[in-house]
Amino acid sequence: MPRADVVVIGAGLAGLSCAAELAERGARVFLAAKGMATTHWTHGGLDVASPAAAPTSRDGIRLLAAMKSHPYRILAADADASVAAHLARMASEGLEHIGSLDAPLTGIPTAIGSLRRAAILPLAQAAALGPWDGEGLLLVGFGRYRDAWAPYAARNLRHAQWPGGPSVVAAVEVDLPGLERLRNIAPHVLARMFQDPAWRTRALSAIADALPAGAWRIGLPAVLGLDAHAEVHADAECTLGHRVFEMASLPPSVPGLRLFEALRRRILASGGRIQVGFDVVEVERSGRRVIAIHTEAASRTLRIGGDAFVLATGGIGGAGIRARHDGTLVERVFGLPVAAPPRDRWFSDDPLRPHPLETAGIEVTDDLASPNLENVRVIGSSLSGMHYLDERCGDGVALASAHRAARSLAGTKAVAA
Amino acid sequence: MTFHDAAARDFPPFSTDLCIKCNVCTTVCPVARVTDEFPGPKYVGPQAQRFRGPGVGRDDPDRTVDLCSGCGICTRACPAGVLIAETNNRARAAIVEERGSSLRNRLISDTDLIARFGVPLAPLTNIGLKNPLARWMGEKLLGVHRRGPLTTFARRTFTSWWKRRRGATALPVIADPARTVVYFHGCAVNAFEPDLGRDAVEVLERNGFTVIVPRQECCGLPFISNGLYGRARTKARRNLSSLAKFARAGYRIVGTSTSCTHALKAEYREMLDLSGADATAVADVTWDICELLLDLHDRGELDADFAPIAEPLLYHPPCQLKSHGIGTPAMDLFALIPELRAVDSDHDCCGAAGTYGLKVERWQIAQDVGAPLFDKVRASGAERAACDSETCRWQIEQSTGVPTVHPITILAESYRRADAGVGESWRRIV
Repeated sequence: MPRADVVVIGAGLAGLSCAAELAERGARVFLAAKGMATTHWTHGGLDVASPAAAPTSRDGIRLLAAMKSHPYRILAADADASVAAHLARMASEGLEHIGSLDAPLTGIPTAIGSLRRAAILPLAQAAALGPWDGEGLLLVGFGRYRDAWAPYAARNLRHAQWPGGPSVVAAVEVDLPGLERLRNIAPHVLARMFQDPAWRTRALSAIADALPAGAWRIGLPAVLGLDAHAEVHADAECTLGHRVFEMASLPPSVPGLRLFEALRRRILASGGRIQVGFDVVEVERSGRRVIAIHTEAASRTLRIGGDAFVLATGGIGGAGIRARHDGTLVERVFGLPVAAPPRDRWFSDDPLRPHPLETAGIEVTDDLASPNLENVRVIGSSLSGMHYLDERCGDGVALASAHRAARSLAGTKAVAA
Repeated sequence: MTFHDAAARDFPPFSTDLCIKCNVCTTVCPVARVTDEFPGPKYVGPQAQRFRGPGVGRDDPDRTVDLCSGCGICTRACPAGVLIAETNNRARAAIVEERGSSLRNRLISDTDLIARFGVPLAPLTNIGLKNPLARWMGEKLLGVHRRGPLTTFARRTFTSWWKRRRGATALPVIADPARTVVYFHGCAVNAFEPDLGRDAVEVLERNGFTVIVPRQECCGLPFISNGLYGRARTKARRNLSSLAKFARAGYRIVGTSTSCTHALKAEYREMLDLSGADATAVADVTWDICELLLDLHDRGELDADFAPIAEPLLYHPPCQLKSHGIGTPAMDLFALIPELRAVDSDHDCCGAAGTYGLKVERWQIAQDVGAPLFDKVRASGAERAACDSETCRWQIEQSTGVPTVHPITILAESYRRADAGVGESWRRIV
């Protein structure tokens, strides 16, 4: 039976980061998750805080922290250290990033041709950031690859309000070698193909041949390799002779796969354990403390004992919280009380406005402890009080809360030994 | 999520409606990674499932489901709790029921039959297994790839050794259920690797267990993976009727193959719908041998007098073990052996997937799936590798030339070295 100082439940950005930091600090960590999480669907950059009125992420944090029940109210002080730790962790796994909390939030193009505001991005997405010095934007699509449609994105971008943007937006579609013979052209399939140096050379020269004359920044689908990503991106810039950036599109997200893999490797390299695929089915308590969780198994459950537990199972969107037909919301692992709007406010007329149920989550003390269970910390989008889609604060809250939880647990006897 | 757990929690028997089309499963599928012929777990599973079933149509909408090797990695990766691999296995069985199965698949699944002829004729059959011409003919006539991972027959079965040793085969009159275990050796130990069975008995007895080896047959897993559910149920029912009385009397059933033990624990109920009291009783008391020994260690009852084995060892946790949901107990046991430098392969699948890697039309896929693992084994510099499932061992050994053993063999060796005394040259004691 596994025993750990800290058992982390959930394998999203929050859970993985918390497990990595605890393991790096020398704690025995066991991460248990019922399946993969949202890393595989995200764009790979960091959304720390970008409500509409904020020029930088730091301003965004300040605005959100002033709101009555927003997680940043208690987490704002952890933003700097947690983002720095994350970027260092990524860099050590070969995923350099650029940007900071003080970098201006700038509109960058998305795969459907809208603009989203970003300030901290993986190196391979950095060229999407302004300022544009008179270059044009050239979007490249791949023939028969249907998950990123360059002409469609370019048409929309031409109509977008994009102050200081590119001088012109153009699109070309390139037939990559061998794609005509493939039936299943998914992002991760192309990413694996780009790992092969011989194929990559032919693919990049096919793209180079299709480039119109001019000074461009080139947007490619986010499929530039997996563990050889840095090399693939460098090759692309070298062969094409322009700055190149990746644009994430429909899931699975290749930048997200890289992020997951980098954090997974960090946890394992620091002596942590990871078990993905088995849900928590039972919790052992002693008074106000949790002493073990049980995960489902082929016959008997697996008992995972721990001194402290971190809940990182997500909110409504990540299925850490479920709605029941009787109008109540339940937190699935520990049954913690969920703070949420009343049932009559569960519905929204406008699908494009923030949904009231997004704010549902667990209310915590200043060190992220659950008021009901003293050795349980709650992190990431399990926390109540944020509209993480509209405020674009999900990644920042995930990192800051993971850092705060790891720091507070590292000070307790659970990890001190 | 395992199937019976899902059923207990009121999920529909087919969980495919929970699919949110996120494609995480397709990114982790080892078969889709190496062949474009297989569109991946989502397409043949939750997508195609909507067009299966009574009244929907006769032909299966996606017959490439037969390319699924059944490793189960998709089910574990799914964020929404869809039982993808289980759905695909049942879809294959439905196709087999409707259209029949090849002679080859019926034959290579019938391991008891193979053993019945193979072992008595061992010198001859083994020449056949090693002879390139015979293997070529096997490929042309039967469709068993000439380089498919097969091992040689033992000269004597494990059960005949057990008989000669006068080992217990029935419920003892007086016995302590806590200190008596039923050994499920499986067809592989019986016909191909009896030494592993002896190692297991030795390790169990050293830790104070009395071992019983009752009548048993192949667990039926090869039939399950080939969609031959009818034949699998026959095997399963016979095993259950032999094992259930031990289970009810409180005895634990322990196996050295994580494939067989997973069949007893889960697949009899999940795939074959054997939901009776016998199946549950047997599932509840079935243990993988490393799982059992680690549990013993957790209670402070394992004989931890392990002699050093100063060597690197590459350990590959097989897919079937991962489906147990018990972690990697072998790695925890290896940590108890001084100077043994065991490293987890951290690779998804060796490719063999039971009989999958034997089939002429699947052999290359199986090789490509396992290729990064084979590279790791070769690069490890280890003189041997370890793995808990037999066909994975044969696949790794055949593809790398590195002898591959069950973790119990390493443990037994360490115990024997301890007995022989540190410093003395070690000799195998049979």
